[in-house]
Amino acid sequence: MIRGHLSDDRLIEVCVLEAPTPGEQEHLAACARCDARRSRLEALLDDVSVTASEAADAAFPPERLTRQHSRIMAHVEHEGRPARVIAFPAGHTQAPIVSRRRPASRWIAAAAVAGLVIGVIAGRVGHDVSFSRPGVRVIASRAAETPELRATGSTGVIREVSNPVDDEEFLSEMEIAIDSPAAALQPLDELTPRAWEVR
Amino acid sequence: MSRVPPRRASSSAAGAPAPVAPLSRDSQLAAEIKGLVTSGERDAARERYGEIVAHQQRRAVRIAYQYLRDAHDADEAVQDAFIKVFTHITSYREDLPFEVWFTRILVNACLDLRKSRSRRLRWAMPMSSAADVLPPDPATPEPTPEQRLVSRERAREITAAVDSLPDRQRTVFTLCHLAEHTTAEVSEALGLSEATVRVHLFRAIRKLRRLLEQS
Repeated sequence: MIRGHLSDDRLIEVCVLEAPTPGEQEHLAACARCDARRSRLEALLDDVSVTASEAADAAFPPERLTRQHSRIMAHVEHEGRPARVIAFPAGHTQAPIVSRRRPASRWIAAAAVAGLVIGVIAGRVGHDVSFSRPGVRVIASRAAETPELRATGSTGVIREVSNPVDDEEFLSEMEIAIDSPAAALQPLDELTPRAWEVR
Repeated sequence: MSRVPPRRASSSAAGAPAPVAPLSRDSQLAAEIKGLVTSGERDAARERYGEIVAHQQRRAVRIAYQYLRDAHDADEAVQDAFIKVFTHITSYREDLPFEVWFTRILVNACLDLRKSRSRRLRWAMPMSSAADVLPPDPATPEPTPEQRLVSRERAREITAAVDSLPDRQRTVFTLCHLAEHTTAEVSEALGLSEATVRVHLFRAIRKLRRLLEQS
């Protein structure tokens, strides 16, 4: 049997962590003070456990546990199953779209881009064809009239283009174009791509 | 309500190897569920899993509530843990007690939730009230108003004392006293050495005793 009382720390160890040695056991049986200290510590620990359990049990009454159980099982029910595809808009019953790349769509996109590029180029060329030809004619006729322009060469011609065309001449050109639209627009028509050609 | 004192953590003497206990009913059930899932019988596995959930649920909410001190968060943590367990049932090791594996997952779920809650609270206005922290009245038969007052006051002191423990000590104390695990099981669940668990438990109890005997 040990002589002195058990220390506070040793009492904790004896209560919670390990069994007392035979000497300590004898002492605890014989010493009312140490035995009372041990009982007090045990009661305190029980109090802590019981208080914590009661608080949790009050927060989770049986009905709440039942609901929780149902929710867990509902989650588990869907576990490992493929996700459901919800149709949009609501009521649309078409089969879910499978994200598979279709090779034709790439060709359509390429054709659309090519068509756009051709269209832009054709627009520019067509613009030049329809408007530069009469201008050249005007420049040529005016150059023939003015000998100083003939001497200057090509740079003079460029400068001449920026000069305003005579109103009478311009209107007569317009009349010719209106009278024979097919002939005037023929070059532009030839350059413009057809929708069915683009495909 | 029954007041059953918790199982003490001293199931094994210091330094001595813990005796190999037979696997619990839930451990056997978990092994069976693992087999069913592996063989593709998921419906049967789910049915069996419902039994484990029902059996472990009360203990789980006690641990989670002790950790989080909030019923909604505890609810969420417990659900997360049970769902994770079923999702990863194929990685369950049959040689370990199911309770230890489950506790580890539950503690991790609680820690995750606490982290996200602290992030949330950083941006929220404080709305603290004493009623939030106050534990509910124990369900004893018809206590007098004085008894209720004393009991409530004592419960508040105990809650505050447990809350004042450092995180690791509180975890170890909760698992040993509330979840009724041995120190060997707690060391397995937390990934700590058993000696470390014993030190944390010892310090937690010493602090609790100091605080509660003072009051």
